[in-house]
Amino acid sequence: MADTLKDSPLRAVQVEALVVMKIIKASAGAFPTTATGSLVGMDVNGTLQITNSFPFPTVDVPATDGHQDSASNLAAAAPRAKANTAYQNEMIKFLREVNVDANNVGWYTSTNMGNFINLNTIENQFFYQKEMNERTVALVHDVSRSSQGSLSFRAFRLSPSFMAAYKESKFTTEALQKSGLRYQDILIELPLTIHNSHLLTSLLHQLPSEAPKEELAFPPTLAALQADPNTPQPPLYPNFDSLDLSIDPFLEKTCDLLLESIENHHTELNNHQYYQRSLGREQAKITAWQQKRKAENAARVAAKQTPLPEDEWQRLFKLPQEPSRLEVLLNSRQVEQYARQVDGFTASVSAKMFAVKSNLLPGE
Amino acid sequence: MGDTESFLHLARPLGPAPVGAQPSTAPLSVVIQPQAVFSILDHSLRRPADQDRVIGTLLGTRTEDGTEVEIRNCYAVPHTETAEQVEVDMDYQKQMLALHLRANPREVLVGWYATSSELNTFSALIQNFYSQQGDGTFPHPAVHLTVSTVPGKDIEARTYISAPIGVTAERAADSCLFIPVPHELKYGEAEKSGLELISGAKDREDRSQGILTDIEALERAVQHVLDMLERVSNYVNNVLDEEATPSSALGQFLMNALSLAPKVDPQDIERDFNNHIQDVLVVSYLANTIRTQIDLSNRLATAALTMGTGDPLGGAAGDGERKEGGGGRGRGGRGRGGGNRGDRNNNRDRESEQ
Repeated sequence: MADTLKDSPLRAVQVEALVVMKIIKASAGAFPTTATGSLVGMDVNGTLQITNSFPFPTVDVPATDGHQDSASNLAAAAPRAKANTAYQNEMIKFLREVNVDANNVGWYTSTNMGNFINLNTIENQFFYQKEMNERTVALVHDVSRSSQGSLSFRAFRLSPSFMAAYKESKFTTEALQKSGLRYQDILIELPLTIHNSHLLTSLLHQLPSEAPKEELAFPPTLAALQADPNTPQPPLYPNFDSLDLSIDPFLEKTCDLLLESIENHHTELNNHQYYQRSLGREQAKITAWQQKRKAENAARVAAKQTPLPEDEWQRLFKLPQEPSRLEVLLNSRQVEQYARQVDGFTASVSAKMFAVKSNLLPGE
Repeated sequence: MGDTESFLHLARPLGPAPVGAQPSTAPLSVVIQPQAVFSILDHSLRRPADQDRVIGTLLGTRTEDGTEVEIRNCYAVPHTETAEQVEVDMDYQKQMLALHLRANPREVLVGWYATSSELNTFSALIQNFYSQQGDGTFPHPAVHLTVSTVPGKDIEARTYISAPIGVTAERAADSCLFIPVPHELKYGEAEKSGLELISGAKDREDRSQGILTDIEALERAVQHVLDMLERVSNYVNNVLDEEATPSSALGQFLMNALSLAPKVDPQDIERDFNNHIQDVLVVSYLANTIRTQIDLSNRLATAALTMGTGDPLGGAAGDGERKEGGGGRGRGGRGRGGGNRGDRNNNRDRESEQ
């Protein structure tokens, strides 16, 4: 199915409301550990329609060790685990019987403050794009940001140039110079829309939305007003949570994460410097050895002896391996992500602050 | 969704109980989470063309005493129904249940759903299958949820539990008494933002909705609040002009709301405001600076060959490092005037640089 359409790249992702709710439920249930699952749907003329999803089986970590990280790591690695591929295939086989679109189109993961650009995500998506089906996406749902007001859902794919580089796992400086791969090119974000079915639209019109437009009878007393069952519930839309003033904790958390990433970046740079120094030392040693051998050979020639071979240094000295630059690339991408997030937070917080100021200081 | 009806629920009838156990007759209430309803509606859309209704299994949690059932998840089960007989794929139901329990070990089988409000002999048969001993929900009663999906009409959900009725032995399997129980559609904090976005699309022709940025969501909420304030102030003005009927209860309510506004010194506000806005702007500025530094560092690391130095790698990495350090110091100098947060960041920044 996908092979016939291979020429046209995926342009957009359309997520069914059902999938959104299922992912939110799974992610909120697993918070703060990561929740992962599989997505099914189909590809219609370059738009990937995601129509259903199911979570991967939870792995029981012995409660005694008390390490949350291990559970989180297991869950994060779940999409490419062998047992889960089998689970996924079986589930899809069953879903086919009830007329659900039975194509695997990717996987989802939950995250916390945009902290998802790491090796796990890359490896999962690489596994999906390589092993399962080229036209797959990773849906990322940010639990913390969604709790602050507006829903955060994003769809990502690995770029073809990164796929090629990762396949050969060549991330030396030289290879990067040749391919021109930059950290901005690792992930491609696809525009995402949410789609409702007709029945769902009908259901949503029955849920509380706006304050009633028509005139209501006046309540006799204050108590009656507060106890009135007809008092409209806060509507689902728009969500007044986004008016909440206390986003400083989010800003602070993002800054902390940003600093962490900078430290990682620093460590990586130190690694590279160390490599540079040891490379320089080795090269100096080799040059010294070569000169010594040349002088020796000149002496031997003068003494009418056969010269010693000059390429023996390749056996004697070992050049250090260059550390992979992949970690630096991912880290840079993550820093970029945090920085943009901070930008977004400050934009809305300054707007809110000006609103509060003019509210408390009328007439200025 | 049908919860406007009021229930007078004193006791529920006795179901079959295990010998020796005290059967519970306490009233039962059902809470439905939106994703279960969404899933049922989706299944209803995907039903075979020749079938009026489809059924599926409900999963969820039950309180210890069994008086409250929360429906959290569900899955479709294929079945065929003709005028004479009904056939449910039991094997499918069993295997799918096992698959679901692997992913959600905390959820248990609580009942089943059908996408039509009709209750008939087949409903009783299926109900008895779901509440039986062994694979069913026994000793708790199975919950039956009907969601009507008639085009052009409101979607109506009803929940039932059942009790056996005394008929002849050969008809006991396909008869039971369905007793309506109250239910509620509840959503948690986490689902709220999702539902917000989903219901944002309800008035649109294409029934779809893009993801909003924070600032767009803020704009909408502010717009909405302004509209509501407008409405209230209109009313108050009309009362003052003696055009609308005054209401002392509404007046009291408004007074209470207005008295919640804090009374603070304008100077304090001015000072706090300036401090905070500076903090925020410094953080934003720093974030952008860091982004530029990272970009620069990456470019320098890979752009070395074109510079034609003898030892490209060493030159590049060293260069990037130097720039990075310089930028850090520069930021520290500027940020100091900013505010607490900026300062703290800078301190940590410098620490991490060293």
